Amino acid sequence: MLDAIPAPLVQVEDLKMHFPIYSGIFRRHSGDVKAVDGVSFEIMAGQTLGLVGESGCGKSTVGRAILRLYEPTAGRVLIDGEDVARMAPEALRRKRPSMQMVFQDPQASLNPRMTLADIVSEPLDEHTDWTRDRKLERVYELMDQVGLNRRFVNRFPHEFSGGQRQRIGIARALALHPRFIVCDEPIAALDVSIQAQVVNLLEDLQERLGLTYLFISHDLSMVRHLAQRVAVMYLGRIAELSPAKDLYARPLHPYSEALLSAVNEPDPVLAARRKRIILKGEVPSPANPPPGCNFCTRCPKVMDICKTVKPALLEVEAGRMVACHLHTAAGATGASEAEERKRPVNQQGETR
Amino acid sequence: MLTFTLRRLLLAVPTLLVISLVIFLVVDLAPGSPMSEIPLTIPPEVRRKMIAALGADQPVFVRYLLWLRQFFWVEPASLFDGWFGTALADGEQRILSWQSRSPVFSIIGQRLPQTLTVIGTAYIVGILIALPIGIYSAYRQYSWFDQAGTLFAMIGFSVPTFFSGTLFILLFAVWLGWFPTKYDTQLEVRDWASFWQQARQMAMPVMTLGLANAAAISRYMRSSMLENMGMDYVRTARAKGMSERTVVLKHVLRNSLIPVVTVIALGIPSIFGGAIVTENLFGVNGIGAALIGAIQANDIPMVQTLAFIFAVLIVLFNLIADILYGLLDPRIRYE
Amino acid sequence: MNMKAALLGAAAVLGLAPAAFAERGTDGEVKLTFPQAVSIMNPYLTGGTKDILAAAMVLEPLAVVDPNGVLVPRLAIEIPTVENGGVSADLTSITWKLVPGLKWSDGSPVTADDAVFTWQYCTDPAGGCSQATKYDGVASVEAVDPSTIKVTFSAPKPNPYTAFVSGLSPILQKAQFANCLGAAAPTCTDANTMPIGTGPFKVTGFTVNDTVTMAMNENYRDPAKPAFASAVIKGGGDAESSARAVMETGEFDYAWNTQIPPDSQAAMAAAGKGQFVVAFGTLVERLEMNMTDPSPDLPEGERSTVKAPHPILSDIRVRTALSKAIDRSILVEVGYGAGGKPTCNVIPGPEGWASDNEGCIAQDMAGAKALLDEAGWTDSDGDGIRDKDGKKLSILFQTTVNPIRQDFQALIKDWWTELGVEVELKAIDPGVFFGGDPGSPDTFQKFYADVEMYANNSESPDPESYLAQYLCSKIPSPETQWQGENINRFCSADYDALHAELTKTTDLAKRQDIAKKLNDMVTKDSMVVVPLVHRGTLSAHANSLGGVQINAWDMETWNTADWFRIK
Repeated sequence: MLDAIPAPLVQVEDLKMHFPIYSGIFRRHSGDVKAVDGVSFEIMAGQTLGLVGESGCGKSTVGRAILRLYEPTAGRVLIDGEDVARMAPEALRRKRPSMQMVFQDPQASLNPRMTLADIVSEPLDEHTDWTRDRKLERVYELMDQVGLNRRFVNRFPHEFSGGQRQRIGIARALALHPRFIVCDEPIAALDVSIQAQVVNLLEDLQERLGLTYLFISHDLSMVRHLAQRVAVMYLGRIAELSPAKDLYARPLHPYSEALLSAVNEPDPVLAARRKRIILKGEVPSPANPPPGCNFCTRCPKVMDICKTVKPALLEVEAGRMVACHLHTAAGATGASEAEERKRPVNQQGETR
Repeated sequence: MLTFTLRRLLLAVPTLLVISLVIFLVVDLAPGSPMSEIPLTIPPEVRRKMIAALGADQPVFVRYLLWLRQFFWVEPASLFDGWFGTALADGEQRILSWQSRSPVFSIIGQRLPQTLTVIGTAYIVGILIALPIGIYSAYRQYSWFDQAGTLFAMIGFSVPTFFSGTLFILLFAVWLGWFPTKYDTQLEVRDWASFWQQARQMAMPVMTLGLANAAAISRYMRSSMLENMGMDYVRTARAKGMSERTVVLKHVLRNSLIPVVTVIALGIPSIFGGAIVTENLFGVNGIGAALIGAIQANDIPMVQTLAFIFAVLIVLFNLIADILYGLLDPRIRYE
Repeated sequence: MNMKAALLGAAAVLGLAPAAFAERGTDGEVKLTFPQAVSIMNPYLTGGTKDILAAAMVLEPLAVVDPNGVLVPRLAIEIPTVENGGVSADLTSITWKLVPGLKWSDGSPVTADDAVFTWQYCTDPAGGCSQATKYDGVASVEAVDPSTIKVTFSAPKPNPYTAFVSGLSPILQKAQFANCLGAAAPTCTDANTMPIGTGPFKVTGFTVNDTVTMAMNENYRDPAKPAFASAVIKGGGDAESSARAVMETGEFDYAWNTQIPPDSQAAMAAAGKGQFVVAFGTLVERLEMNMTDPSPDLPEGERSTVKAPHPILSDIRVRTALSKAIDRSILVEVGYGAGGKPTCNVIPGPEGWASDNEGCIAQDMAGAKALLDEAGWTDSDGDGIRDKDGKKLSILFQTTVNPIRQDFQALIKDWWTELGVEVELKAIDPGVFFGGDPGSPDTFQKFYADVEMYANNSESPDPESYLAQYLCSKIPSPETQWQGENINRFCSADYDALHAELTKTTDLAKRQDIAKKLNDMVTKDSMVVVPLVHRGTLSAHANSLGGVQINAWDMETWNTADWFRIK
């Protein structure tokens, strides 16, 4: 960890989000979809952590579980020192203004029957006792901040373009001066030409307001541009967590490698030299992950141990953490860790 | 919206004309004779004269044109006469029921009040029961309340009204003696005593129909709520830190009500149509009982007029449902 | 019908009348319920019994028929007979004298003109009068003086008690119906739904096919009657709900036509609130044998006509065997309970008119089989179905859609199958079956089947016109547009001759004798008509309703003036 920066704003420890599966006539609990299965990371105040991975890997679930839009199955989520995962409902509601989310689909995330003013000022109704005029003033202020024309204040969401809607979503998130914002693929649903505008807006806001972001995306190049550190997720677990610079320069985990090989390389010389790694096979079901490394079914560098022992996320270089037997096999700590992890493997076998 | 409404209304005219012709032909071609219910002791030549007196021996197109004229000119004119004391329809033949020789529209006028009170109340009661059940079932999906609500809906759907109605009669009228089994259409509500009497006689038919109505509507409400419950904007509302009450009642419920309101509006013509089985069972003798009686007696003018009025109401309420949808959902605009 | 009998009948009615009541309108309201609601109150424009029953509480004829089948004067002073000079010796006219001082419910006097008008009303060719047969053979009706009505017949009429007799042909008020003659008849809605009458009640409110409300008639001729101040007839629902409203919940005092399954009858009677009463008239559920060939192979015009005799049923032994195989007691038990009894007659009553023929009641399967063997129908190929000359003994048996009739069909099929007869069943919508549409193949007149089942009755206790349906001239055929009442296509010169004799005979005993012979000719002698069940009309009345005298020969409501509340 970097000593220069004081306490991290967000600390996630062994977060698990399991969705129960009920089946049969009596809807018995017959298993779980392990959407998030033991994720830990930290985000420093004023920084951005990128969270990348294929769709379905659980990255959006992490975002929602952190803000407790889902009830996490296990683990701790400390935001500003308070464990959001265990907070009582009323305390949580009061905590909400400090942590906000920008959603992927700006159309679906805005109530279609409310006007822009209603949407943006609703949190103010709930959490402040401001007068009407003051709230409206705040709405205008936010609209200015996100670059929306004040004339649009009484329009409905469907009357805006996709980019404008996302600006509304951002304005809404900013209304109560949050410190931490989860950006859940905020640009995925937008036209390419608009994406950059929105990203720039987010960057500006971070600079001006000192915001901390968890930026969830499958667009690696956008993450590289925004994030100081990046976590790569695969099937509910973090495969690698590294500073963005290092990750893009030299990915350690075979999955990171494969993922990065698919990113467009602007330099044609480099692009020609680079070998694209094409992963074979399907992502296993999160209801029934492999007993060993989650990636072992598709890993081009798979070893025997990968099929039986789950690798732990370990710091293998300064500031770089990876969960891969390739990197832990060398150190003695890695081996013992692998032994220790054997028991949960069996337990998982039993739950089927 | 106005141009849309006008265009739809204009379009409805040829549609309804075609419908009226189709109904007329179907009713006319259906087997049976208006004389099939009279005793065999009446000899054939008398029967023939009776049929001739009804005008039922005329060719079908003559009768159709006559009916059209009566429906669209004579009946409105005589209504106008009734209001303003004019004499537009003097000497004109109104549509007469073959069964009772009374004008079809006076019969409808006599019967509409009890149909609207009983069936309408049942509809409102059904809605009032259904909405809370649907809302809470969805909010607590798979809870015991939801399971009970599902059971209730299943019963409401699968138990036919003639069965539940008879069950109610045995339980509440025969055993407990709380309610009368025959509806007194002549009862006038003048004071608390007669109001109480009216409430008692309405209780069983309203329960019977209300149960069936509530079953369907509660399911619509539940599924619509469930659909909206999973929407991102609900998550947004939660993320805003809104109270659970606000999230459910303001965000989820309001959006979920849009399709439910439409379904409710589309169901309104059925209030006018009455409920054939229930009306018969409890002797409510509204429009539904009139229709089935007329069908059994091959009373073609009555069947034709009622069927056509239903067609008009259905077209009308489809339009109303569309307009309502537009009013409730800002995303929909009609040009 | 002679004077003596009539007077006796009248005396009997008076004798039965309770002495408890003394004043008009002291017993509150009497509530009646009919499974079919009242459509109209003018019996001349309807065929529905429900309507005529309601009308009979308001409109009255000159004379009615009592439960014993005996004529009782109503608006007339006495029943005219040849003996008292009321009927001319040559039987061509009858003269009625009105009770003096009679008033309509509106207070105006009843005169002979009203009767004359009623005759004109019903005989107007454009009016479509449903009771036109009541005035058959009437040449003229005249008012000799304001209280004397003379009906003249075009030919001698042994039974002159048709016009203005029974609830089917009451007297209408001329003043009210004057503008309703002929084609205008149906348009007089007010008159048709609220006729002014002379009966114990007057209509105060009428909702079509729903409720009739009535109040006592202040001008009723007997100042002590009716005991009830008002009456209500609520219609709709079904037989079961009507019966329940009287027998179980006690909401109503009287329910007409409560024919419900026998087990329900017992259950409801056990509730102790009311009782079932049954009126046995002449309604007989019967099998009609087709004497002509209904085979679809025949060209139209020959099929089911006298040109093609039936290949199987023309043999009386087959018809007899089919009848013998049926156990009528089981049919009654299954279908009607107290509301029916087994019968072998087309004319099951009244007493005196009914034949003593009971030969068919006991089932005789062995006898039936023997008869078929004798007729040459044997099971030669061992498939369980009898055959003869390579032709199977196979029968198409049709009736209307009706739960009891389908039960009957199934039972009869079982018995006939046991007999070695192949039976195909068919059930037709009653509206089509009785609809008489010459274009439909499924009318009972067209009879495109071998055997059919339905019920029919005589409209009057005197069965002369009823028996006329088996005359050769009444056979339905393409030439008559398939109209005609001789469904079986039975044709016998002897029968026609005997019936002609009946129309000329005036002596009651002789008439009854001839009627019995005619009855036997179509039933036990020829087995053309196979009667099954003598059906009554099952009604229910509350134990607290007194004075009910169920009547099969006239309207059940014939004596509502005498009804009272048992306190």
